[in-house]
Amino acid sequence: MSLNILIADDSIITRAVIVKILGLIGIELGEIHQATDGRQALEVLDRHCVDLAFVDINMPAMNGEEVVEAIRSNPLWADLPVAVVSTEGNEERIARLLSMGVKFVHKPFTPEAIRKAVSELIGTTHELRV
Amino acid sequence: MVTHALGSCLGIAVYDPVTGLGGLLHAMLPTAAINPSQAKINPCMFVDTGVPALLHKMLAAGATRNRLSIRAAGGAATQTERIDHFAIGKRNYIMFRKILWQFGLLLDAEDIGGELPRTMYLEIGTGKVWLNSMGLDKPL
Repeated sequence: MSLNILIADDSIITRAVIVKILGLIGIELGEIHQATDGRQALEVLDRHCVDLAFVDINMPAMNGEEVVEAIRSNPLWADLPVAVVSTEGNEERIARLLSMGVKFVHKPFTPEAIRKAVSELIGTTHELRV
Repeated sequence: MVTHALGSCLGIAVYDPVTGLGGLLHAMLPTAAINPSQAKINPCMFVDTGVPALLHKMLAAGATRNRLSIRAAGGAATQTERIDHFAIGKRNYIMFRKILWQFGLLLDAEDIGGELPRTMYLEIGTGKVWLNSMGLDKPL
């Protein structure tokens, strides 16, 4: 089964790097949707079926924490696997995000950190090279 | 296979579990641009020529790139290197990550940095990789 993925980050470089890593780690990719801010991210979720989301915190329009809160409070998306990818260093904020069931990946990240997050989020239903 | 006394040098073990093909590289310096004539004689001295040489040989021998298990160790700042400001260990590691990215490969395990030397082992029959540092073995 292929995975439809949302990448929400205002940095085009970060989005491009995550796309490349996803291509390397051995998952079967379906549609890849990119959003440059939090509001766009929710619009993508509204219009498309997404299986896994990468969300930055510091984005214009709506930050990543608000995006995660919106995801978790909507019954349609509440169980969506989410990786928050951010430079965020505030432990309280990170703890709040973790309590909402996301995986946290610190920027700058290695390809292996993205692979680990994907592996933990989608479990063993996909064959990853881990 | 074994490579001894990895200080700032990088040890890189590559293994294909299906074919049982494996290789172990001991690269000393980050780039062949430091000494191009030496790189022609022994490309494996340098990370930016040694890693591609190892990968190309593995693939030519029948390994498959999406099965490759890649493990790295070394890149330490040993006592003499801490005061020379060349940061060879760090530069070796940065070059290694760059080469992996160019090849589209990910690391399966690493034990990088610190101040202690390491010896690295690759058991070809099983693909098992382990290190020895200051008399202590540990799996990688």
